[in-house]
Amino acid sequence: MRSAELQWKIEPWGKPRGTKPVMTLRIPHSAFRILGALWRLNLAEELQYRANFAASVLGTLFWIGTALLTLALFFGHTTRLGGWDYWEVVVLLGVFNALTGVVEAVLRPGIGRLAAEVRSGSLDLVLAKPVDAQGFVSFRRLDIWRLADIPLGLGLAGYALARLGRVPSVAQLAAFAVALVAAAVVVYTIWVVLMSLAFWFVSVENLSVLFDAVYEGARYPVSAYPTALRFVFVYLIPIAWTTTIPASALTGRLGPGIALAAAAVAGLAFALARLVWRMALKRYTGASG
Amino acid sequence: MSRAAGWARRYGALIRNAWLVDLQYRASITLWLLWGVTEPAVALGIWWTIAGDGPVAGYARADFARYFFALMLVNQLTIAWDSWYLDSWIREGELNFRLARPLHPAHEAVAENIAYKARTAGMILVVWLLVALAWPAVRLPLQPGRWALTALAVLLAAAMRFFISFTTGLLAFWTTRATAIMDLHAGVSLFLSGRIAPLALLPPAVAGAAAWLWFPYMLAFPVEVLTGAAYGAALGHGFAGQVLWLGVWIAGYRLAWSRGIKRYGAVGG
Amino acid sequence: MASGITAERLSKTFRVKVRDPGLGGALRALVRPRYRDVHAVREVTFRIEPGEIVGFLGPNGAGKTTTLKMLTGLLHPTTGRVEVAGFVPWTGGPAFKRRIALVLGNRQQLVWDLPPEETFQLNRAIYDVPEADYRERLAELVALLQLREVLEKPVRQLSLGERMKCELAAALLHRPPILFLDEPTLGLDVTAQEAIRGFLIAYRERHGATVLLTSHYMQDVTALASRVLIINRGRLLYDGGLDALVARIARTKRIELVLGDGATAEALAAFGELKSFRFPNAVLEVPREEAAATSARLLAALPVADLSIEDLPIEDVIRRAFTDGVEEDDA
Repeated sequence: MRSAELQWKIEPWGKPRGTKPVMTLRIPHSAFRILGALWRLNLAEELQYRANFAASVLGTLFWIGTALLTLALFFGHTTRLGGWDYWEVVVLLGVFNALTGVVEAVLRPGIGRLAAEVRSGSLDLVLAKPVDAQGFVSFRRLDIWRLADIPLGLGLAGYALARLGRVPSVAQLAAFAVALVAAAVVVYTIWVVLMSLAFWFVSVENLSVLFDAVYEGARYPVSAYPTALRFVFVYLIPIAWTTTIPASALTGRLGPGIALAAAAVAGLAFALARLVWRMALKRYTGASG
Repeated sequence: MSRAAGWARRYGALIRNAWLVDLQYRASITLWLLWGVTEPAVALGIWWTIAGDGPVAGYARADFARYFFALMLVNQLTIAWDSWYLDSWIREGELNFRLARPLHPAHEAVAENIAYKARTAGMILVVWLLVALAWPAVRLPLQPGRWALTALAVLLAAAMRFFISFTTGLLAFWTTRATAIMDLHAGVSLFLSGRIAPLALLPPAVAGAAAWLWFPYMLAFPVEVLTGAAYGAALGHGFAGQVLWLGVWIAGYRLAWSRGIKRYGAVGG
Repeated sequence: MASGITAERLSKTFRVKVRDPGLGGALRALVRPRYRDVHAVREVTFRIEPGEIVGFLGPNGAGKTTTLKMLTGLLHPTTGRVEVAGFVPWTGGPAFKRRIALVLGNRQQLVWDLPPEETFQLNRAIYDVPEADYRERLAELVALLQLREVLEKPVRQLSLGERMKCELAAALLHRPPILFLDEPTLGLDVTAQEAIRGFLIAYRERHGATVLLTSHYMQDVTALASRVLIINRGRLLYDGGLDALVARIARTKRIELVLGDGATAEALAAFGELKSFRFPNAVLEVPREEAAATSARLLAALPVADLSIEDLPIEDVIRRAFTDGVEEDDA
């Protein structure tokens, strides 16, 4: 089975080579085929609906517009928000929008429906399939049109950078890319942890709303909040790592080295997501210890 | 049985049903409530930071705190989600059995609003009282006159928001994109109804435009009655505006319903 | 006619968008949408007298539901006239709605999270049923439908059959003179189906309600309806008694045999059309008029242990009515 899958082993820290890995991640090549088939089906479905694309893009532009107006309102009464300039915050807004694209296109249609699936028993159908349940549930549906949010968000961030008159160095761009991917992983983790509550609170249908509540604070730089909240947003509900860190990497507020920290946080987050999922699934299927 | 008694019985049964169903969904409702307060909480956080250097257009930190807590309560008492339900009913064929009954579907919607608001407003009030124990900034004076006027303003605002919501929901008779129009209205009301900031903080041109529309009367005016920011002539102005726009939206609802039902009967659902 | 139904040249036409399947078709529809007219109901005419139970049959998409919606006031006809319980349904308003009940087999009106009793109370308020009448009618319905144990369980905990019975009870609390049932036994097990059929017969006997019932299940029709309306592709193909329909369409009868040793398929085939042969059982199809004579000859010529003459199954009759029409011309 070796050549037909991708493998990623997480070795235990500080132990000699060859010690049993803490966790092994295997992605069989068939997974990509399956995903491809699912997404092709999605695309065919979506194209049927007239103007869905235009509607989606217009919607995103509208909400970006309102967010910019909100910022303008705040900055009408101050020159810096938590030490950030207007255009620096717009860069963050662009990052927020790009991540929203990931959430709306991939996460909400997938793992966001977990509560409903648990309740209706559809999850059992998934568990009976020869695929990894977490991967399947997370990525099986795409809301194609929302992917447009990603270039829109990144475009906004780029424009804001231009207005700041800053040209990011290669190192900064690389750091930004790493931090952005890490941010996506952190967002994914938040979703998995929150949605896993569905296994304990089966009757709650709108668990995905919990994410929206938690994520609302990611619209603004973490320094704009009182100190206590800042602690929460960096260490407890790590939304600071979703928007503030990548934006800081891009604008140069933080040096490129932050990418390492972001990657580490992402790795931890992913492992945590996997762990929580397996605990939740064990409980669901009634398996012991 | 007199007509009034008949309606009282009908509403009694409808509200009781809605209350009991909400009881089953109290966890979900709590989550919706949580989501409903995060937006004003985040806005408060930002204004709190900005007002750290001094009052903004007459609003000091404590004023912002009072404003946004009052906003949380008034929003829960006035918000209407019927547009989304109606859109779903029309598209999923759930309107049919309601139309076959000798009861206009709007009554069911009103009763559900009453039950839902009683429940969630109660929850917000409890939270507010608890917070007020620890945080003096959010306390409000207990003047019965002020609370009576607030009740009236809230009632008028809730009625108007209900008709706005129901009417926009009826757009589903004509378009599958009714939810987009609802989103548009929600986006505009972010600013013009005072959800992001007290109207005094808006650029004068924008605030001026808002004054010609119904948005301030949805939320900002009842909030200001509650916090005491509106008094004297502004009160009279505000109530007059509420009554006027309520009338406009009731007329709009009646037009949309009569036209919409005709169209529904022509093209089916 | 205070509790009858009249339809005169009832027609309904819809304009729908045309979409080709697949990716290419979807893109084309995006750029240039096309429309066509769908004639869901064409010149349907019938008259139902008070107290009748009438079965309304037709394949999916035949126009049954559209006709039903026009009779209940949910749709207005493109052309034609309709009168139900003395009202024009479309303009009847609350007064009309109090005189009918609509029960949909695939869509639920009971409040899902609460016991059925709560929905009953709600309907009592909506239909203004006086207290004493409510108690009496509820008691009767509970007895006839055997609902005593399920009244206090939340609807989501009830079985499909129990839910349907409660739906019926909820719909009849205001004792409407006209009852529209759209697939009431859909998805139910045999016991539940029989219970509901029995209930409808008993109810009609007691209260003389007029019932229009659409169904896929032939047993519903044979048990309940003495008269059927058959609709296909928007047209009314047949309106009359079930027996007459069988006689008109079913030109043949079936002879079911249990054979003794020595009987062969070839020998049987000489007497008629051999439908099935699985020794010792066999089924022979012969023209209706010759059935008795052929049976006599079979008994004389072949070793037959048992023999019975059966009508064509109703399903086959109806299916032939759909596909071949009743007058031998295609609709």
